[in-house]
Amino acid sequence: MSSDQNIVLFRSVTVRYGRLTALRDISLEIPCGSSTAILGGNGAGKSTLLRAVLGWQSLAGGEIRIGDAHPRHARPRLSYVPQRHAVDWDFPITVRGVVEQGRYPHVGVFARLGLDDRRMVDGALEELGIADLADRQIRRLSGGQQQRVFLARAVAHGGDIFLLDEPFAGLDLFAAEELGHILREWEEQGRTVLAAVHDLDIARRSFTRGVLLDTTLVASGPIGEVLTAANIDRAYRHGRCVHAEALRGAQAGEPR
Amino acid sequence: MSALHDLLLAPFSYEFMRRGLLSAFLLGVSGGLLGCVLVLRRLALMGDALSHSLLPGIAAAWLLFGTSTAALFFGGLAAGLLTALGSALLSRLTRVKEDAAFGSLFIVFFAAGVALISKLPTRVNLADFLFGNVLGVSPSDLRLALVVSAVTVAVFVLFYRSILLETFDPVFHRATGGRGGLVHLGFLTLTVLNLVAAMQTMGVVLALGLFLLPAVSAYLWCDRFVTMLVTSVCLALLGSLVGILISFHAGLASGAAVVLCLGAVFVASALFSPRYGAIRTLRAGGKG
Repeated sequence: MSSDQNIVLFRSVTVRYGRLTALRDISLEIPCGSSTAILGGNGAGKSTLLRAVLGWQSLAGGEIRIGDAHPRHARPRLSYVPQRHAVDWDFPITVRGVVEQGRYPHVGVFARLGLDDRRMVDGALEELGIADLADRQIRRLSGGQQQRVFLARAVAHGGDIFLLDEPFAGLDLFAAEELGHILREWEEQGRTVLAAVHDLDIARRSFTRGVLLDTTLVASGPIGEVLTAANIDRAYRHGRCVHAEALRGAQAGEPR
Repeated sequence: MSALHDLLLAPFSYEFMRRGLLSAFLLGVSGGLLGCVLVLRRLALMGDALSHSLLPGIAAAWLLFGTSTAALFFGGLAAGLLTALGSALLSRLTRVKEDAAFGSLFIVFFAAGVALISKLPTRVNLADFLFGNVLGVSPSDLRLALVVSAVTVAVFVLFYRSILLETFDPVFHRATGGRGGLVHLGFLTLTVLNLVAAMQTMGVVLALGLFLLPAVSAYLWCDRFVTMLVTSVCLALLGSLVGILISFHAGLASGAAVVLCLGAVFVASALFSPRYGAIRTLRAGGKG
């Protein structure tokens, strides 16, 4: 895959929750095979941007293209990794059980997982180094291992665009380093990574590109050029606590 | 030998006891499955509220059409779905959150049910209605249990993966094109169907026990979704059998007897489960 090609394209995208504008007139390009940190304060629109790429967000204006397609038609290419705290770690399920879920969308309702599916699952377990933990219940893992289970599910899903919602939240230093390492490897393999990130230092270390949001686009491009003192000041200067609360209310309809 | 025979087999020489047991078995299978989803999605209290809300529908149907199974069934179904959809709408259109909406609606419905029941002809035994009477299972009740149980099992077999995914990770389910809302609505409908079908043996107030207790016990033992489903069904069957026998010999309301048996299993599981029980947690010095 050539890296000068754009894989995700925003053309003046606007998203509103009722009267509240979550994203305002965003235009940006994500190059194929890049790793991009989506940055900004609470309520800046990081999650909204991810949801928009997944095709869950009806747009008040503009359009989003994944390759040549509308997000809804690009689902097989999109592999989503949820936030850690959104997961019920007490659920009666093993590591392999979670990773197999990545294959569910590819298997018909009445069919069973085939040989190819099992091979993909085994491959994903191997790649993330958790093959020996396959039969463990997911609570009985370290934080870093838990994170890798969901990365493996995304790999087993077989997409080439990975969307991660705050993947570094709740990880200790070692696990965060490890995750950064995995994401850099993915980039080298030509996978496109898009992750909402809170921590600017982590973003600098683990991603090559950045998108800085303040409901509007503050900057996008190579991470070093995005995270300048001037840009950071622009993005984080305003108190947006009120916004953040209202946004959370608008998303409360979500299960759990 | 003959004492054992009297204890275990003699009760089932009666036609109505065979019907009652079979009905409880059928609903134990479907309820054991449904209960797992209720427990894992943290809908246990909502299921309880839902079961209470069936009462006015059933009572109204009784007043209007008499004790025909079909009338009671559709009456209960209408009341249950009205409560579920009503509270979903309330929480979406007003400031009230879903749990408060559900809690408020179901208690109003339940009160309406109690009011209606007090207007029923006196020959109706309120206790049977609320707590179950295995003697009253008619052939048409049994047919209803058969249909409801078969539909529930079929849905679980066919949509196993969707149910697992929607229960474990609704966001991922949606990201991969799953219809979460549809699964949820279908699940609520199945719950109401099973509650109504279980009403005769278990009673309106206690029916949920047949669904919930086996599942929450199984939850304490199992590390896989499939094994939890199977364990839950087995416990529901066992509890129904023992409960109905006790109810026969001791002259107890059958719903209460079944729920108490399953309750004993749950308490034992909560204490002694080797991995997730209270004793193990205390010995290990706290949770985790």
